[in-house]
Amino acid sequence: MPTTDSHREAIRRTLEERAGGAPDAAAVAEATIDIWHQVADRLAPVIGMQGVDVLLSHSLHLTSATFPWLVNPGDRGSNAAQLATLEARLAGCKPEASAEASCALFVTFTELLTTLIGESLTGRLLSPVWEPQASAPGREAQS
Amino acid sequence: MNDKVAINLLTTGVPGLDQVLGGGVPEFSFNLIMGPPGSGKTTLAHQIMFALATPERPALFFTVLGEPPLKMLRYQQQFSFFDFDKVNESIRFVNLSEDVATANYDQILARITQEVESSSPALVIVDSFRSAVLETSRQSRGAFRLQQFIQQLGVLLSGWQTTAFLVGEFLSPSDPNPVLTVADGLLLLDQKVYRNSMVRQLQVLKMRGQDTRPGMHTFRITSAGIEIFAAAVVRVDTGEATMADVALSREVRLTMGVPRLDEMLGGGLPSGYSLLIAGPSGSGKTILATAFLAEGVRCGEPGIIVAFEQTPSQSWVRTLDDLVRSGKIGLINTRTLDLSMDEIVQHLTSLIHKMKATRVVIDSLSGFELAVAPAFREDFRESLFRMITVLSGLGVTVLLTSELEDRYIDLRFSPYGSAFLTDAIIVQRYIEVESRLKRVMAVVKVRASVHSTEIRQFEITDEGVVIGDPVLAYEGLLAGRPTRTPAPETSERGKS
Repeated sequence: MPTTDSHREAIRRTLEERAGGAPDAAAVAEATIDIWHQVADRLAPVIGMQGVDVLLSHSLHLTSATFPWLVNPGDRGSNAAQLATLEARLAGCKPEASAEASCALFVTFTELLTTLIGESLTGRLLSPVWEPQASAPGREAQS
Repeated sequence: MNDKVAINLLTTGVPGLDQVLGGGVPEFSFNLIMGPPGSGKTTLAHQIMFALATPERPALFFTVLGEPPLKMLRYQQQFSFFDFDKVNESIRFVNLSEDVATANYDQILARITQEVESSSPALVIVDSFRSAVLETSRQSRGAFRLQQFIQQLGVLLSGWQTTAFLVGEFLSPSDPNPVLTVADGLLLLDQKVYRNSMVRQLQVLKMRGQDTRPGMHTFRITSAGIEIFAAAVVRVDTGEATMADVALSREVRLTMGVPRLDEMLGGGLPSGYSLLIAGPSGSGKTILATAFLAEGVRCGEPGIIVAFEQTPSQSWVRTLDDLVRSGKIGLINTRTLDLSMDEIVQHLTSLIHKMKATRVVIDSLSGFELAVAPAFREDFRESLFRMITVLSGLGVTVLLTSELEDRYIDLRFSPYGSAFLTDAIIVQRYIEVESRLKRVMAVVKVRASVHSTEIRQFEITDEGVVIGDPVLAYEGLLAGRPTRTPAPETSERGKS
C-alpha cells in the first residue's frame, strides 16, 4: 500500500526536526540512526528483533535501487554492519541527498510493514515516532 | 455467614464457549488451549483476549517461537473481533522468541515477571507454550526444572491476579506433562477430515470448579472468529412434570391446514408433538408441511422451515415462498455438506426464540442426513433423538418429512428407525388402481390419543392437499396392488 503524502510529510518533518535547523549530512545520518532505533524499539516487542532486522535489510535492498550508495553488499547478514554503513554513507554525501535517501528508506520500511500487517496496525505501532516532538536538547524543532 | 470465595466468571466473547464452560472462564484461572496446528488455538486465544481486554483490565500477549508475530498479526486482523484500537491501549504484544532461544528457565521467568509487574495485566496469553517448553527442556536438569518453572509461572500469574491462557501445540492429554497438572482448565481443539468435509471440535477436558458441558462440541471459524455449537443436552427428569406437560399439551391441538386431516388425527396434532410424514418421492410431504406452516401463520403461530431439499423459490408451493419473504415463516436453508446436528439445533433454537415460533418443519430427514458431515452420519439417529428432545423441551410442535422408498413387501416408515422417536406418524403411499397411480395416506400413530385408522385417498390440486373418503372399495392397498372388496365396511377408530 503506497504511503500517503501526509505520512511521507510526517517522516520528512521528523527527520528535519531531529537533524536540526540547517543540518549537515552528519546530522541527518545521526538523526536517521536515532529514528531507526526508536522504530526498532517500538516494533521489537511486538514482532521480535529478528523480524525488525529482516524488514530493515529488505527496506535497504529496495531503497538501494534508487540510492545504490546506501548499502555495501558485503554487509548482508549483519544488521550492525548495515546500520554502520548507512550512517557513514549518509554522512558522506550532500545534506539534501542524505535527507532524501533517509526519507526514502523510512517510507519504504513503512510501506513494507503496511503490506504485511496493514495500515491501521502499522500506524498504531509507529505513529508515536512520527509525531511532532518538543524540542530536543540542543536542537530546534521545525514544523 | 457464607465466607466461601466467590469465583467470578469471565464472559469469553466466543459464541457458545461460555455455555460449554458452564458460564465462562473462572477469573484468575490458569488454562491451557491445546490442539494440532491449524485447529484454531491462536484464533481462540485472540478472540477471548479482544473480548476481555480493556484499558482498566489490560492483556499481555507473549509470542514465543512458532508462528512469526508478523504473520500472526497479518492473519488475525482479518477477523472482525480484531480491534485495532485495543492494540497498545488494552493489549500489549511481547515477543519472547529471542529470550526463549538464548535464556534458561529462570531468565524467561524473570522476563515474564518483569513484564507482568510493569503492566499488571488482567489477562496473560503465552503463544505457543509448547515452543517455550521444547526450547527450555533442551537445557539442563530436564523435567524437574520445567515443572518448577511452570509452578512458579502459575504462582506468579495467580499472585498478580491474572487469568492466563497457555496455547500449546501437540501436548496430548495423556502426556504426563507437568503443565497438565498445574492447569485449572484444559481446552482441546481438534479437526477431523473425512472424505471432502472437515469438522472442527472442541472439548473441555478440565475446568476446575465448573459444571462444564461434556462431549465434543463442533465449531466453525468464519470471518467473525470462532463460533461453538454446544452439544445439546438431553435433560433427565423425574417424569412427573413430563406426564403433566403431556396431559396439558394434549388438550391443545394444532390445526394442520388440510381439511379432514385434523379429524384423522383425532382433532388436530397435539401441541408439542413431533409428527413424521413418511412417503415416497412426490407424494406430497412438502405440500402437507407447507400447509401446516401456513395454517400456523393464519392462527398467529409463527413457524420455521429447515429446508434441505427444494428451495422455496424452486418449489411450486409459492405460498411458502411468500410467507418466508414476508418474514412470517423463518427459513434455515443449507446446502453445505459439513453440518453438525448441534450447529443446526443452535441455529434453529435461536431462530425459535427470536421468532417466538411454535411450529417447526424439517424437510427432509433424507436431505438432512446428506447435509450432515460424513463423520456424524454414524450417529445420525442418536443426534436426531437429541434434536427432537431439545425441540420438544422448547415446547414447539415439529413436523419431519422422510423420503421413503415405496416397497410393497414390508411396511416401513423411515430409513432411520426414527419412527419410534416421533409422537405421531402419517404414512403416504402410491397405489395402482385401474392402471393409474393414486395417492393414499393413513395416520399410523398419535401417541396417547385416539385417531383414525382409515386409509384415505388424496389428491394434490392447486389448492393443496385434498383428502378424499376412505378407500373402502379396495383391500391390499399397502401391497400396492389393491383388489376390489365385495362390500364396503364402516370406518374404525383406534387408539395408539
